[in-house]
Amino acid sequence: MAGSQSSLREANRARVVDAVKKHGGLTQVELAGAAGLSAATVSAIVKELVAAEIAEVRSTVRSGRRAQLVTLAHRVGLVAGVVVGYRHLRVALADVSHEVLAEQVLPLPADHRSDTSLDRVALLIVDLVERVGADLDELLGIGLGVPAPVDPATGMVSVRGVLRGWDSVQISQVLEKRLARPVFVDNDANLGALAESTLGAGRELRDLLYVNVSQGVGAGLVLNGRVHRGADGTAGEIGHVQVDPAGRICACGSRGCLETVVGCPALLEPLLPSYGNLTLRDVVRLANQEDPGCREIVADAGATVGGVVAALATGLGPQRVVVGGDLAETGEVFLGPLREALRRRTLLSQAGGPDVVPAALGLRAELMGAIALALASTDLFERPDSTDDEGAGR
Amino acid sequence: MTLPTDGTRRRSPLLALREVSKSFGAVEALVGIDLEVHAHEVVALVGDNGAGKSTLAKIVAGVLSPDAGQVELAGNPVTISSPAAANELGIASVFQDLAVCENLDVTANVFLGQEVRNRLGMLDDGSMEVETRRLLERLTVRIPSVRTPLRNLSAGQRQAVAIARTLIGEPRIVVLDEPTAALSVAQTGEVLTHIERLRELGLGVILISHNLNDVRAVADRIEVMRHGRNNGSFAASASHESILAAITGAA
Repeated sequence: MAGSQSSLREANRARVVDAVKKHGGLTQVELAGAAGLSAATVSAIVKELVAAEIAEVRSTVRSGRRAQLVTLAHRVGLVAGVVVGYRHLRVALADVSHEVLAEQVLPLPADHRSDTSLDRVALLIVDLVERVGADLDELLGIGLGVPAPVDPATGMVSVRGVLRGWDSVQISQVLEKRLARPVFVDNDANLGALAESTLGAGRELRDLLYVNVSQGVGAGLVLNGRVHRGADGTAGEIGHVQVDPAGRICACGSRGCLETVVGCPALLEPLLPSYGNLTLRDVVRLANQEDPGCREIVADAGATVGGVVAALATGLGPQRVVVGGDLAETGEVFLGPLREALRRRTLLSQAGGPDVVPAALGLRAELMGAIALALASTDLFERPDSTDDEGAGR
Repeated sequence: MTLPTDGTRRRSPLLALREVSKSFGAVEALVGIDLEVHAHEVVALVGDNGAGKSTLAKIVAGVLSPDAGQVELAGNPVTISSPAAANELGIASVFQDLAVCENLDVTANVFLGQEVRNRLGMLDDGSMEVETRRLLERLTVRIPSVRTPLRNLSAGQRQAVAIARTLIGEPRIVVLDEPTAALSVAQTGEVLTHIERLRELGLGVILISHNLNDVRAVADRIEVMRHGRNNGSFAASASHESILAAITGAA
């Protein structure tokens, strides 16, 4: 205890910053409750944080009373990251240093419609902007990921049938019309690759493969430090590589695609008679609890994906394979067999070939990538400061 | 919390209603309804206004007693004579009006009517606050402070408090009546995430809702009711159209 006055102060400061981060924006009174500190302490710490330009304070109204809303500083502007998954929608707001200020997940029904889901994206972004006490014109841009190849020229899904109900939807136009902010669309695995190569497990590397195995399977390629999208944005669509010539017909029209073998419905089907109705998350949780049946399913999927990744790695020679998505949450249960398949089927250089590591950003890789895409696509200095109103906004 | 692997899960549901009927005078609210809920399962009840969804929920919650039929809990026939009896049997409910007290704080609402007292018979605020924080944590609820009065919380946060309250006393079944009605999209996201958490905690959840989007997002099984009768049982992956057809009677 002795001599801990300054470290106590440090710890209190950290508690206040953490509480603001978790809730997006809090009034000083709420902050005292959330951080478990006295109002006076919070007030002093907030003053310090404002002076250090870490936090901002503005007047607001809570239940009819005037109050001071504390948020993290975001004077340069905000960006939104959106990931539309098969069964979840994730939206986050971040400042220009990739620091997430507010985040929300919304579970979605199977085969959700593009009109309903894009409407919800727009409403969620407005909600989150409000939560951090900001204004929609502080939003510099929106990055959005979908689980399908996206044509970089049009921002539309470029292969028909792989994402039901999203063919020929002009995703960015729909949202730009609603929010009047620029929208940038990309494939979700490309976003994961972007995030892992700039913020995650591939920071120092020039060539890397990112593989995401969740409800579906996809890969993003980083070649010579840049995300490689290929013609029509179809690069890395390993979900549609044939692994079973006598297999089932895939949504894309071919037979025996990887997705028909390790995609979510195919993965859950063998468990149905003995386990009843499971979700992918149940399988991951049970595998982590050493359930033998679920581990078997996950390990087999790892080996199958490893075979396809091996072919891709032989073609591209990446330094590292980063694995994300739900199945990667089982750790070595999935990664072990994947690594083994890769080792058996690729040319081993003297250095030992690419290593296989889990995504450093975990399940948030795609979301962080959407934020990174929005930041990379908008020019921060073109915009006027939020305090003056010169210069035309979009 | 591992699942039995020998198929027992299918044979003995947590809760089973067999041929349950209920009339109010000439109104047949329920006619020979069957319903099964397993552990680890979200069963959604959908149907038009007056289809009998809320009546069914009230029978499970012990508010109403059925005129005919049988209710079984883990394979044993039971009589749920009152809401208190339902609580004792491990059934907790959240109704549309939430029944929360605006002027009381989060902790007081969570423990309303089930307050913890110390040896001297005084309220044990400390342990109730700790427990409330633990419950909110388990549901991943974001509420700044457990001492905030309910009137200062958003509609979604109030719903979260009402759901957290059901977890007092470790229930096995939770009944949620229209939990996402009148919520913003962000709040709906929060509440649906709480429902996913309840399922992960191994509870059986009965979810009543008009919103097919929300229902299809989190339910394992969707039971359609029409004029007090079962009118189809669907997997969550079933199409919007087929469920709608069963609700409207087009199929």
